[in-house]
Amino acid sequence: MTESAKLTLLSLATLSILLLAPFAGLGDIADAAIRQHILYDIRLPRTLFAFVAGAGLALCGMVFQAMFHNPLATPFTLGVASGASFGAALTVFLGLNVSLLGFDAVTLGAFIGALAAISFVYGISRLHYSFSIETLLLTGVATSFFFSSLILFTQYLSNINDSFRILRWLMGGLSISGYQSLLQLLPIVAFSAGIMIWLGRELNLLMAGDEIAISRGVAVKRVRYLLFLTTSLCVGAIVALCGPIGFVGMMVPHICRLIIGTDHRWLIPATLIFGGGFLILCDTLARLVIAPAELPVGIITTLLGGPFFLWLLVRSRRSA
Amino acid sequence: MIEVSELQVRLQEKTLLSDISFSLDAGHYLVVVGPNGAGKSSLLKAMMGIIDKDGGEILFHDQPLSAYSQRELARLVSYVPQSSGRELPFAVEDFLKMSRYAHHSALSEWQPDDQAAVEDALRITNTSQFRQRQMTTLSGGESQRVMIAAALAQQTPIMLLDEPTSYLDPHHQVEVHRVIARLNEQLGITVIEVSHDINHAGQKGRQVLALADGQAAWQGPGEIFLEKGRLHRLYQQDFVFVTHPISGRTIALADPL
Repeated sequence: MTESAKLTLLSLATLSILLLAPFAGLGDIADAAIRQHILYDIRLPRTLFAFVAGAGLALCGMVFQAMFHNPLATPFTLGVASGASFGAALTVFLGLNVSLLGFDAVTLGAFIGALAAISFVYGISRLHYSFSIETLLLTGVATSFFFSSLILFTQYLSNINDSFRILRWLMGGLSISGYQSLLQLLPIVAFSAGIMIWLGRELNLLMAGDEIAISRGVAVKRVRYLLFLTTSLCVGAIVALCGPIGFVGMMVPHICRLIIGTDHRWLIPATLIFGGGFLILCDTLARLVIAPAELPVGIITTLLGGPFFLWLLVRSRRSA
Repeated sequence: MIEVSELQVRLQEKTLLSDISFSLDAGHYLVVVGPNGAGKSSLLKAMMGIIDKDGGEILFHDQPLSAYSQRELARLVSYVPQSSGRELPFAVEDFLKMSRYAHHSALSEWQPDDQAAVEDALRITNTSQFRQRQMTTLSGGESQRVMIAAALAQQTPIMLLDEPTSYLDPHHQVEVHRVIARLNEQLGITVIEVSHDINHAGQKGRQVLALADGQAAWQGPGEIFLEKGRLHRLYQQDFVFVTHPISGRTIALADPL
């Protein structure tokens, strides 16, 4: 099967998920008006939002995996999502209410937290001449722990209401209603995806390692900083709006690579589409598992992601 | 065409290269030799812009390295790293196609002359038969030729090679050296090769730059390189010399005593 045929199939599958998901669990509501309201004002925006957030998370994961040549390296495992979470929690705690370029305080806090985390993790892993993926991943783990305790600290100092809100938000949830969150997130994810598509050839070469990328003519430092900024913005915005939803950025791009190969001209659209579809699926599951109550979707993705992480780890050890 | 003067490279506290100066005319073949850790790889990496220099100057066509963008540099100089490339997740032909990066902008399409560059590189290195194979499935000798092919597809007048034959059996060493000689003699590519093979360096028509402890210990024409005292100073090792029964060339052998 050619790449374009695979991409078409993937798109069709995602489209059917997108069309069916809003109707899941709607069967037992008799009143037509209420059904309409739930469908158009709650389910549809939530499904579309899940698509955009999932696409963004998956694309950021894909970029990190390519930049660090390892499927285990993602914004989530490297502490970027924790940094973003702390930034967002801190702005909530401090009650900051500034906005810049149309971004609200929580998004800005998450963006700065994400950027601080990746700068720190990358800086540490570069201290040694021989860059090792183990150092990078362990630094990411340490950074995650560090930011997690800072979050606990702000939570401890918060009043009970804020504290509970932070806790629920940290579980990662998509229980939004209306179109406002969607309209906030869409431009950021679209912009990030645009940058990644623009840098498709550079991403291909980065997968071959920095030395080869530089010798082929890629201005690696500049490309890497641009990608750090882009992914920080994208992860920051998603975390600010729905909390840290883990492992989507690890599972989706890796599965896409197995399906469609490593060429980013195909991998980027595949990851975008499948990432969106995947998060809709997880969110639908989260709504249905303990209906009429619902789970935070982050619990579902992490339950799937943990074993996936271990599988990748065992597999890479075996082949090494 | 290549002019390196008083080149300094440091890594944190450690001096990797100091006061390296040499020049090389277009179409010449320079072999960089020296004991492990002498700074041979660092020299190539500094010339390719992979590591930053801390002093001195590297000139290509009388222009300093800093005057070139990385993309411009990659149209002038290509590089074959020490790694075998067998960990790379690409098919051979796709990997070669990626070498055309510097000849493109973000929006330009694949052109017939790009394909021609890839085909030429496959043909010259005798790797056409692997074009569909994944890099991970190649043997050491095959992947080394593919790495050279990928640099060749970049179509640069200068090529830097970091120990291209170190991990190869004698047959593949000869094969790879034949390919490099062809690039130099037939295509007129200026070659700088890092090698541990002193007999390969010590040939007529080669220039030799011997590094020790990050400094230039000796430079000169290949045919006078193989000299007992010089080799001893360079490698702290005694050598004996024999005459090759067929070619008549002088061959240095490490003397175990």
